[in-house]
Amino acid sequence: MNSGREVVKIDTDVLVIGGGLAGCMAAIKASEYGVKVTIAEKANTLSSGCAGTGIDHAWAYIPLIHEQMGWTIDDLIEDHTQLIARGFINKDLLRLVAKENYDRMLDLEKFGIKIRYEDSKIPGKFRIVHQFHSLPSSFNFNGRDLKVKLTLEAKKRGVNIVNRVMMVALTVSDGRISGALGIGTNNGKLYAFRSKTIVMSTGRANRMTPNVTGIWGNHRIPVNETGDGRSMAFRAGIPVINMEFLSSGYYSIGNYELNLGSPRNTVQPAAAVTGPDGEVIVPRTRFYDWDNLGKEKADPTITRQKMLSGNRNPRPSYEQLYQKGEGPFYLDLTSGTEEEIKYIEWSIGNEGKGSLFLDYLKNQEGFDFHKDKLEWLPNSREMAGTAASGLLVNNELETEVKGLFGAGDDVGGFPWAGAPGAFVMGWRAGERAAKEARQQKNFLPADNEQVESLKKSCSDISGNRGGIHWREVEMAAQTVVDHYAGDTRAEKTLKRGIERLNDIRKNAAFRAESPHELMRCLEVQSIIDNAEMVLNASLERQESRRAPFGFIRADFPEQDDARWLAFLALKRCEGSIKFSRIPIKQ
Amino acid sequence: MFNPITFNEETCTGCNKCVEVCLMEILEANPEKGKTPLVKYPDECAYDGACWMQCPQRGKGAIKITPPLPMRVSILRGEKP
Repeated sequence: MNSGREVVKIDTDVLVIGGGLAGCMAAIKASEYGVKVTIAEKANTLSSGCAGTGIDHAWAYIPLIHEQMGWTIDDLIEDHTQLIARGFINKDLLRLVAKENYDRMLDLEKFGIKIRYEDSKIPGKFRIVHQFHSLPSSFNFNGRDLKVKLTLEAKKRGVNIVNRVMMVALTVSDGRISGALGIGTNNGKLYAFRSKTIVMSTGRANRMTPNVTGIWGNHRIPVNETGDGRSMAFRAGIPVINMEFLSSGYYSIGNYELNLGSPRNTVQPAAAVTGPDGEVIVPRTRFYDWDNLGKEKADPTITRQKMLSGNRNPRPSYEQLYQKGEGPFYLDLTSGTEEEIKYIEWSIGNEGKGSLFLDYLKNQEGFDFHKDKLEWLPNSREMAGTAASGLLVNNELETEVKGLFGAGDDVGGFPWAGAPGAFVMGWRAGERAAKEARQQKNFLPADNEQVESLKKSCSDISGNRGGIHWREVEMAAQTVVDHYAGDTRAEKTLKRGIERLNDIRKNAAFRAESPHELMRCLEVQSIIDNAEMVLNASLERQESRRAPFGFIRADFPEQDDARWLAFLALKRCEGSIKFSRIPIKQ
Repeated sequence: MFNPITFNEETCTGCNKCVEVCLMEILEANPEKGKTPLVKYPDECAYDGACWMQCPQRGKGAIKITPPLPMRVSILRGEKP
């Protein structure tokens, strides 16, 4: 069987693994330095990543507006640190993104994305909405086709895009990256890349827990993002941080991750949430005064305090209300004006799975915003953007391995980096990777032993007629994560969870009847690696750290900043996991 | 189990753009050129809509995505305003 798997050898100066927002930005920037750049993408860069079918907002420090209001970059950093991350953030990375995302938004405009609106009366003709910070800081933009535009830009610049390859292994030689290995998802070929530098940008880890509807794939973030980057790093003994923060965010309303003007989201105006008799649970938000934004002064200390006091006194969650026998709850925009409804439809159509959702809602369900209400149901929890987990990088996005950089959601230590993080980190990592590749004269030799080992493990799966279907293994791993790394964790149950996961790994003799199924098996291996990291890191962190991380240890119920205001790094070392604590600079 | 994607044989030209962009790689080109693609792994649909968004014949109803029952919305219908 081993000799049957064809090997495709590709040499490239810079290899970008994962062509989402961060990966595309990295490749586009790297192409400016006269080096050969290749993206290896599991699906197709036209549609892959969290923003694969659209994104309509991204926060930034916008000098044209914020300087006028007396709000500085330091204020944005303080807002993000205090309001979002509660002090648990890599402030240097945050500063990088805060300083540069405005320029990246202007780059996106050059690539064909509409970020200015004729009806806007504020400087720059932007639409700026409220999101995370105490002042409106998030661009609204027509991002439905952003991935198409980024792909075209990358191709125009000569970037080589290799779609339908799932990367599974990094090759490292004497502490320097030498390449990476992957499997063709529809041809089963082994792709052996030799590269001088690598940008790792595979995104988040999903499919870690079962979901509410039971429909496979019905998670908030694209489900082919299975934490492959973290998994590759883990396998190669490269540090990953904060994996314990599998946060319990209950998103969406039981169907698509839609953006139907959910209150306190980035949609303004938003629907109200109302109860069964029309009583208002969460009031509507109205249009921001787009005419005046940027013209008036604001006192950041006061606006921040106001939001902080809101954080300290949150309204009861829907879960808590259900437990009191309340509900059902509805998203209610029936009092919306034509202009507001038009805006909401625009917003839904440009974000996430909203474009299809809006079409389904109107044309298959006949939903009428003027009179109908949409029931608000909780959906699955996920290892979310709140989580701050991912590769350990320094201020220049370098990992411990020379020539390996991280970008976007693959980088740890930055809660809610989101799209701004992807744009800026991708750009910077691409620049750094290209400059470093330029200084490297030769490729390091290929790691033939690792190629043979991957060939064998894949052939074991492909030839294993009596093996287990990937989905069965996935469900087993998800059940373990759900139960043992659930809303409340404790030492003894976590230890049991680790034992059970090890059993699953030992007994998971996969079978694959096609290259496509082989990809799914490899994805489930990523999920198991991620689950192993989640369980072990949860056991190591002996404190609780609530919002936004949702990390609760029953046996250590208090937040312990003296010991644990620190990133928890883990790496595999001679068969066991080694931990280290990295104190967070305040 | 599910039937997430249906093609209209009249308006689908078999260009296979949907096959090219499908995030979950569940579609396959029809061996017969110009015919509608095959939904090879229907239970792995992510309902992200990339295929539908990028269909050049979308306006003519060449492709339709139908969410399975548990994913459908729950609506409180109101009176005509």
